[in-house]
Amino acid sequence: MKNIFFILFILTSYSGYTQQCDNVLKGNIIDFHDNSALENATIRIIGTNRITISDNQGEFTFKNLCNSVYELEISHVACKTKQVTLEVAGDTFKSISIEHHIEELDQISIKGTSKTETKTAQETILKSNVLERYSSLSLGDALKEVSGVSSLNTGNTIVKPMINGLHSSRILIMNNGVRQQDQEWGIEHAPSIDINNAGQISVIKGSGALAYGGDAVGGVIVLNPSRIINRDTLYGKTILGGQTNGRGYNISTSLNKNYNTGWFAQAQGSYKRNGDFKAPDYNLTNTGLDSKGFAARVGKRNFESGFELHYSYLNNEIGILGASHIGSVFDIARAINSGQPLLIRDFSYTINAPKQDITHHLAKANYYKRFRGFGKVAVQYDYQYNKRLEFDVRIGDRRNIPAIDLTLQTHSILADVDLDANLDRKINFGVLGRYQNNFANPDTGVRRLIPDYDKYEFGTYIVTEWNVNDKLLIDAGIRYDYSRIDAKKFYRTSRWEERGYDVDFADIVIEEFPTQLLTNPIFNYHNFSATAGLNFELDKTNSILFNYSLASRPPNPSELFSDGLHHSAARIELGDLRFNKEVSNRVSLSHKLNSKRLNIVSEIFYNRINNFIYLRPFAFTLTGRGPFPVWAYQQTDAELYGIDLTVTYEINDKLHYLNKSSLTKGYDLETDLALIDIPPFSTFNQIKYTNANWYNFSAALKSEWVFEQNDFPDFNFEVEDQLTEEMVLIDISTPPPAFHLVHFYTEATFSLSQKTRLNIGLGVNNLFDTTYRNYLNRLRFFADDLGRNFTLQLQLNY
Amino acid sequence: MKINYLKPNFMKTSKFFINAFLSLAFVASFTSCSDDDENPEPVNEEELITNLTLTFSNIATPADVVTMTSVAPDGLEEGMTTENVSGNFTAGATYALSLAITNASETPADDVLNDDIIPEADEHFFVYGVNDLNLSLTRDAGDVDGPDGTKLGVNTTWVAGDASTGNLQIILVHEPDSVNDSNPFGSATGGSEDFNITFTGVSIL
Repeated sequence: MKNIFFILFILTSYSGYTQQCDNVLKGNIIDFHDNSALENATIRIIGTNRITISDNQGEFTFKNLCNSVYELEISHVACKTKQVTLEVAGDTFKSISIEHHIEELDQISIKGTSKTETKTAQETILKSNVLERYSSLSLGDALKEVSGVSSLNTGNTIVKPMINGLHSSRILIMNNGVRQQDQEWGIEHAPSIDINNAGQISVIKGSGALAYGGDAVGGVIVLNPSRIINRDTLYGKTILGGQTNGRGYNISTSLNKNYNTGWFAQAQGSYKRNGDFKAPDYNLTNTGLDSKGFAARVGKRNFESGFELHYSYLNNEIGILGASHIGSVFDIARAINSGQPLLIRDFSYTINAPKQDITHHLAKANYYKRFRGFGKVAVQYDYQYNKRLEFDVRIGDRRNIPAIDLTLQTHSILADVDLDANLDRKINFGVLGRYQNNFANPDTGVRRLIPDYDKYEFGTYIVTEWNVNDKLLIDAGIRYDYSRIDAKKFYRTSRWEERGYDVDFADIVIEEFPTQLLTNPIFNYHNFSATAGLNFELDKTNSILFNYSLASRPPNPSELFSDGLHHSAARIELGDLRFNKEVSNRVSLSHKLNSKRLNIVSEIFYNRINNFIYLRPFAFTLTGRGPFPVWAYQQTDAELYGIDLTVTYEINDKLHYLNKSSLTKGYDLETDLALIDIPPFSTFNQIKYTNANWYNFSAALKSEWVFEQNDFPDFNFEVEDQLTEEMVLIDISTPPPAFHLVHFYTEATFSLSQKTRLNIGLGVNNLFDTTYRNYLNRLRFFADDLGRNFTLQLQLNY
Repeated sequence: MKINYLKPNFMKTSKFFINAFLSLAFVASFTSCSDDDENPEPVNEEELITNLTLTFSNIATPADVVTMTSVAPDGLEEGMTTENVSGNFTAGATYALSLAITNASETPADDVLNDDIIPEADEHFFVYGVNDLNLSLTRDAGDVDGPDGTKLGVNTTWVAGDASTGNLQIILVHEPDSVNDSNPFGSATGGSEDFNITFTGVSIL
């Protein structure tokens, strides 16, 4: 239809050839987001030298135009130049909108400073130049760059991020706009994310980012891919690395093709491999890793509209220290008393049981459109497929059958609206729907750790941001989430009765077997969360941020349904069907000092968590493997508080000093016990020399000092050696002593051609080959942590 | 002045909302019917050991038998066990020990000893222990070969010494790092214990 009109129009303009060219084109230039008039915009008719400027009403006029098609070019300070094609047929009026506030609206930074996800929360951004140095490592390793963030490790390749002492289900991870769903409740389940895929990471302490979820009692981690540039360009990056400890090597490469029309395509792949790591005195047998990742994005991104299709794949095969495979508390006692692993072999790349094999697929499609004088509307659908296989030490043909075989599939749809017509009072609201299915394969021959379940979630939120004046910004938001879990869970009849479920939950039994019961627990949770905060600039160098967040988290499947032996911990773990949601009230106060040479960020927080769910020793049971401690999830009231400090000081142009220190305390208020696995006080000091004139050379000496955790719950226990009838103390609580490590890193960048740069980085971790064990490494009972490691990394940008 | 208003944005806007809504509804309906309501099957636990029986038979007097049993209906691994000892050893007598390790949760009962442990004898090792009990043993020449040139400990001969009462322990170690049977009771480092059972109140009369 359009074409026909166009042809007709051309014909009429030809037929009017004799007509005089005395038409008037009148128009106005308005700001897209709020319809306000834009003064002093330059309007040029392309192909002519006719130029005019809009007046204070945003209006402009061209006289003496023919009936024809004209192309206009509109430019304005700090706006993207826009071209408009229009037809003049007689006197014509045209309203043209251009956007003057792209930076504020689109989270695009022109000045090189990164946009934060929140305005009043305690947020830190890690940019690509920092992330690139972690190419051979994991997400959890990189996040430790942030003061107050530590990690809970199982060995050195299973690294779970921990924010202010909280981890697992209490941390929400957003991977390119998709909430990561990968059995994150598990203490040995590291996020299935390839760090090479992230262009920038925001770490938000507490639950201040309500648009992402209301249950982030600990914090939110937001990974964003690298930014799209609207320009005809093709560029790429390849990172090659090698490490002596573990004889590791890694390669990561990415290619980007962009067009000035907004079309873009990106592809990225990475491969990492290492064999057995080494502690200063021995090999850590069976600690190899084989990791393959791939990701691709394609789409169109313009100011007014855009879409994106994204797919990513990650497969990690992770060996778990062979010596950590234990069968009884006597095994663990022997491991602790021997002081070194009871299984040490020569170096090998082979990964045997115990091991994990995790595959994660993520696909998403989103679309957004901006409406003039209104804001931005975005819709998204995403799908995740997570397959977790855990192989245990087994016998016979079962050797190659995993002991855990879980398939978790998640579909989410969401719609989000940003009302930003008034830049001083933005409103963001949205809705979310999610369906999740967990399937536990019964072919493992091992009772299901987590039952089959369907989970339905619905969420809605509204957050607002108010620039009161130049110095004061206030934000606030509320969110409601509904969550329903519908599980099919087998219980041993003996356990069912022992837990008293036969009295409280008799109605959910749907089938009876000789020694087992099939039950159908269905639980509904209604969760409210809220946040409010302010950001106040005291003067040019000082600002203060205050934030209050209320978060509610429903119990996760493991807290509800666990019932059985946790092999690597030599304990029986029990969930509780009676649990209610966990509610956290967190207040935080930050002070930022930004002066010419000195920068200080001090962050304090207090987090009071009611109905806090955690595992605690509960009883003993005598089994065919001797006595086993039974740990049960308990609901209690807890408090956590602490302070995180980041100081940078420019001694002179070339010499920089950095300090990061963090202190966290956590207590169970009902038992007056310290919480388990709270990071001890740590302080990190770095002195760095840089010389921009000499190939961007830099060299940094780093000191990492982790104190002994003196505030720990004493969960030690004594068991009777039945043969000798003597009592044996099992010390599973005493934290390892403090340790001090020194690291060194140096790099330089060489220009190979106009568009090609080569960055060479050389590092030594644990320079003095210090022997140490880390309180937050769950394998600390069995082996020392890593010894010295030389690393070499070549990065080619082209 | 004649003015031509160009095509308003309005139509596009409403079309977008309708499309967005329809696609959301489509996705929602797709996800909600991907589920079926069939009940999952119970897992058939394959690695279970529910019954352990030690039968000591007097070589000279076949009627003189000492039997020790350990029963755990939910499996020795994490279930509650019940130990039972019947009969007493006779001082000075020699006994042949016969082991039975089964999974009675399956019908017929699964012979774990002969189907799983003996075929993988190089990854297993039996360790015995006594306390306050004058029992000694030898690993028979015909015993199954265990790891690193040792004897597994399935076929053993026991000699009862002076009268005494005490405890007898049997441990099955899986994938030990090193084993030693120079003392026939046996010892192992590393690996994990598949079971660790102690019978109390065993007597030699």
